[in-house]
Amino acid sequence: MSSPAQEFLRSATEKSADLAHRQIIRKGIDSYQAAFEGGRSRFLDWQDARRRLYEIKWDAINHLDRYLEEFERRVIERGGHVFWAENSEEACKYIADLALARGVKKIVKSKSMVTEEIHLAHALEKLSIPSIETDLGEYIVWLRNEPPYHIVTPAMHLTRAQIAALFQEKLGGIDSDDPQELVAAARRALRRDFFSAEMGISGANFLIADSGMIALTTNEGNGRLCTSLPRIHVAVAGIEKILPRLEDLAAFWPMLATSGTGQPISCYSTLVGGPRRPGEPDGPEEFHVVLLDNGRSELLGDAEKRDILHCIRCGACLNACPVFRTIGGHTYGTTYPGPIGSVLTPQLRGLNEFQHLSYASSLCGACTDVCPVKIDLHHHLLHNRRDAINTATRPWLERRAFQIFRWMMMDSRRFAFFGWMARLKMRALYALGLAGSALDPSRAWTRNHSAPAIPAHSFRALWRRAHGAN
Amino acid sequence: MAQTESSSRERILARVRNALLTPAARHAGPEQKRIFAPVADPLDRFQKECAANITECVLAPDLPASAAAVAEILAALPPGEIFVQDSPELRALAPAWRQSRSVRWSSEGGPREESEATITLCEALVALTGSVLVSSACGGRGASVVAPVHIVVAGLKHLVPDLDSAFRLMRERGTATQNSYVCLITGSSRTADIEKILVLGAHGPRRLIVVLSRSFE
Repeated sequence: MSSPAQEFLRSATEKSADLAHRQIIRKGIDSYQAAFEGGRSRFLDWQDARRRLYEIKWDAINHLDRYLEEFERRVIERGGHVFWAENSEEACKYIADLALARGVKKIVKSKSMVTEEIHLAHALEKLSIPSIETDLGEYIVWLRNEPPYHIVTPAMHLTRAQIAALFQEKLGGIDSDDPQELVAAARRALRRDFFSAEMGISGANFLIADSGMIALTTNEGNGRLCTSLPRIHVAVAGIEKILPRLEDLAAFWPMLATSGTGQPISCYSTLVGGPRRPGEPDGPEEFHVVLLDNGRSELLGDAEKRDILHCIRCGACLNACPVFRTIGGHTYGTTYPGPIGSVLTPQLRGLNEFQHLSYASSLCGACTDVCPVKIDLHHHLLHNRRDAINTATRPWLERRAFQIFRWMMMDSRRFAFFGWMARLKMRALYALGLAGSALDPSRAWTRNHSAPAIPAHSFRALWRRAHGAN
Repeated sequence: MAQTESSSRERILARVRNALLTPAARHAGPEQKRIFAPVADPLDRFQKECAANITECVLAPDLPASAAAVAEILAALPPGEIFVQDSPELRALAPAWRQSRSVRWSSEGGPREESEATITLCEALVALTGSVLVSSACGGRGASVVAPVHIVVAGLKHLVPDLDSAFRLMRERGTATQNSYVCLITGSSRTADIEKILVLGAHGPRRLIVVLSRSFE
């Protein structure tokens, strides 16, 4: 089996040459970009708004223990249950045991990246309890047996023709690729599931400490049906999703929506706290919150990287990233793709195995510019590169090469001599027509591009000629 | 089912506390706390935002006129049961449409799958975003999401300028503490998951209609 790094390179090479794929991604991101510009202009000062979110998140994350305990206390006061899971296994086991104990036959799920992270669907599949994805994009990739392509628009990589063919195969009765018809087909198919499922599973965009409520942002209404109709509601959330106060949402709801899709605010900004109360017409009998650590508390301990936990999973950095736009979401091979995934995955799943993601960036900083909570994403990529060099294993050849390079650079005459040698060698190589061959040290560039002309003189010589000996 | 797996809880909290012993750098905060410009004319803004987010907004002078407007909307819908929040206000308006429809009141439970429309009151209307704030007191959780049409009967007195004032109102009334469910609804249910093309009525209502009465007595 190939390593994640090899698989990444293979897929990146393939995807970046797939022009049809690039076309559909460009179309999706261009329409996002136009909406985002419109949404951003509604704010008095976008930069001030980002600083506001940063402040609130900084407070939340840097007093995480206090806010988590407050959240837990409030949920219990509301008649809910809180389960603390150290890792994916504990979280999946709790939910699976609960489903078994309550005789659950069918589960409806609203879109949640954290349930992808813990591979919950897999754990439930083992119990033969069907869990049905109900967000349209998520439903489409689920029918295709694929992971989500993008954290906000999971089926961004598919054309309507592909989706129509998929629905025809899985649902039948589709005679058009009109999005209106396709949405109606999914609505019809999922309606029955909403009303017959015994358990609804959701994520949480925010956990509100002072109220013991979870905040869910959706457009389709599937999240609302999942949390309203089944008799058990389970919400799964990373411990970093905390916000101190209900009022913080007056800033977070519009910022999340604008960064995520360009909307001024999402259609349904929902707060759920506890099971149905006496006197309420409907709602679940049980409400469970699973608080997931899964490496987050380790990351919290690194003060330099702590602000990675400020992330609200809006997906803006994916859309802004020239690398994501070229290689697409699946190439990353991780739950969270794009810049935030490249920063987060080595922290959660091991620096050694995922250090290649730190290089899946041109360091242009577009991700940092758009992040609504001001995470310094591209510098975190640099920090990960530094840490990978210091702690993780690099190939023997690379380490020797840098030792020699260092030795060359430490003496000006040595540097001049090797520079002269290199120019001589490259000129000879290119004269023989070997540019881009295995013998060419610049092969990574020259195998796909024409070789640049080798200058006759060194930079030092040119400088001396222009500015004199000093 | 254990309330909490205490050992995991203690281990996670201990790691968090230990992690936070090292302070993290903190950058400067915003120059001003306000992130949106003040809303000058709430009614005008609300109507504009509704037009933009595809909420139908019907202005009526008083509640009897609202009842007539609701009856007119219902008359154009396919036959079938409607679900109505059981409140004195809506009970008073009900004669305007009751003879043509069978009505299920929220006091009888949640809305049925085949409901043609739901009629509820609201906690507030938010001008800044053209939104309707409902809680489980507004006919429960399903009342605003199950049927293809959701009609909100509201008055000018429900209109607040922005989100901050909506949250202030919620604090004063204890909306979040007294209800297990609160939802800020902005437009009808929609998706753009297929080629970023907007389609209304994904899983929730295709139409959201606010019947806004100038006087609500």
